[in-house]
Amino acid sequence: MAINKQNVKIHVEHLKKNFGKLEVLKDISTDIYEGEVVVIIGPSGSGKSTFLRCMNRLEEITGGTVIVDGCDITDKKTDINKVRENVGMVFQHFNLFGNMNVLRNLTLAPVDLKKADKQTAQARAMKLLARVGLEDKAQAYPAQLSGGQKQRVAIARALAMNPDIMLFDEPTSALDPEMVGEVLEVMKELAREGMTMVIVTHEMGFAREVADRVLFMDGGYIVEEGTPEEVFSNPQNARTKDFLNKVL
Amino acid sequence: MLRILNTYGNLLLAAMGQTLLLALCGLFFACIIGLIVGLMSVVKNKPCNILARLFVDLIRGVPMIVLAYFIYFGMPYLLNNIMGIGGVTLTALQAGTICLALNCGAYMAEIIRAGIESVDRGQMEAARSLGMPYWRAMQRVVLPQAIRTMIPSIINQFIITLKDTSILSVIGFPELVNTAKNVVANTFMSFQTWAIVAVMYLVVITLLSRVARSMERRLKSGH
Repeated sequence: MAINKQNVKIHVEHLKKNFGKLEVLKDISTDIYEGEVVVIIGPSGSGKSTFLRCMNRLEEITGGTVIVDGCDITDKKTDINKVRENVGMVFQHFNLFGNMNVLRNLTLAPVDLKKADKQTAQARAMKLLARVGLEDKAQAYPAQLSGGQKQRVAIARALAMNPDIMLFDEPTSALDPEMVGEVLEVMKELAREGMTMVIVTHEMGFAREVADRVLFMDGGYIVEEGTPEEVFSNPQNARTKDFLNKVL
Repeated sequence: MLRILNTYGNLLLAAMGQTLLLALCGLFFACIIGLIVGLMSVVKNKPCNILARLFVDLIRGVPMIVLAYFIYFGMPYLLNNIMGIGGVTLTALQAGTICLALNCGAYMAEIIRAGIESVDRGQMEAARSLGMPYWRAMQRVVLPQAIRTMIPSIINQFIITLKDTSILSVIGFPELVNTAKNVVANTFMSFQTWAIVAVMYLVVITLLSRVARSMERRLKSGH
């Protein structure tokens, strides 16, 4: 699906984030368009995850502006919960609700936030579970699932809110190697369907394959960005070259 | 021993009833105080955190017997004689309930705080990322998981509180220890009387622990 350059889904301008005295994000500006798949790479501690978590304000933003779907989330008056309903997030450690079975994990937020009645939410949840290949696990509890299965459920849970944007925070980093593939498959499928996605990952092969744009971050800045071809095959910045030499 | 049981058995049983009544009243309010103060110490709000900390430190730093005297004698004196608001009196049950509620509430607050903090931060974040408001997420996701780890400590605290009712004999509440003192004063049979009282406590607390353990088991096996 094509990227719609007319529609900026996430606008980031001079974003700054400090943890106490530590400046994690120094000055980040970028636009993410509808249908675009943006992959953020970079060494650990470069601020990739923090940047991602600023996009739904899981981290309080120190300075600058972040506008998601037309809502300025740095403005205290913005109802952040309403914005988050439209921005799905998938975490490194899955964070499935341990006190609920898989089906309840998927229906809790839609039903609680009155996005759907119970029947509709359950029907939709079953469809999503089928899509990630886990319809037989609807009644299972998170503790009974493998890592790959947990992460696929977590993706389905985020999709259950019918979001426009999906954020992925190192979704395969906590997985055993043999389970990485099944999760990446689901993400590729989503990308093909035209979901706007921002992905922090160390899977360079995956980045190369699905990204429309790759951002390389280091030291709290976006140091380099471009198509996967440009960034991976012909990096311009010395730090990008150095990083890619180490990981490829 | 039989003579005591024949003559004072019903009296002691009634006193045990008073002990249980006092414990229940105290625990009821202790749960409310514990939940409120416990939540106050985990929310992202400095004044709330400090207030909760102060309350817990204050109550934990004062022996319960002092607290009992203070509430039963000190508070009415303060209100009536120092502040001049006349006619304030507390019954022993009221004072005892306040005393237990404050004391047990402070410990419950700590149990609840620790329970909530034992739930992985990611649970709250995941719920928030779906658009759920803080208190909704707390109620639906975090608290149900926290309660599971809290149950053994809460039951332990219940047992301690039940035993602590005996301290309130000092403000004249007719619970088991206070009543037993009167029985001893009448009969001089202190060995027999205190043995009976000890067994009575033992039976009630053992029963309570049994119930607690089966509850704990059910919570662990089921979801």
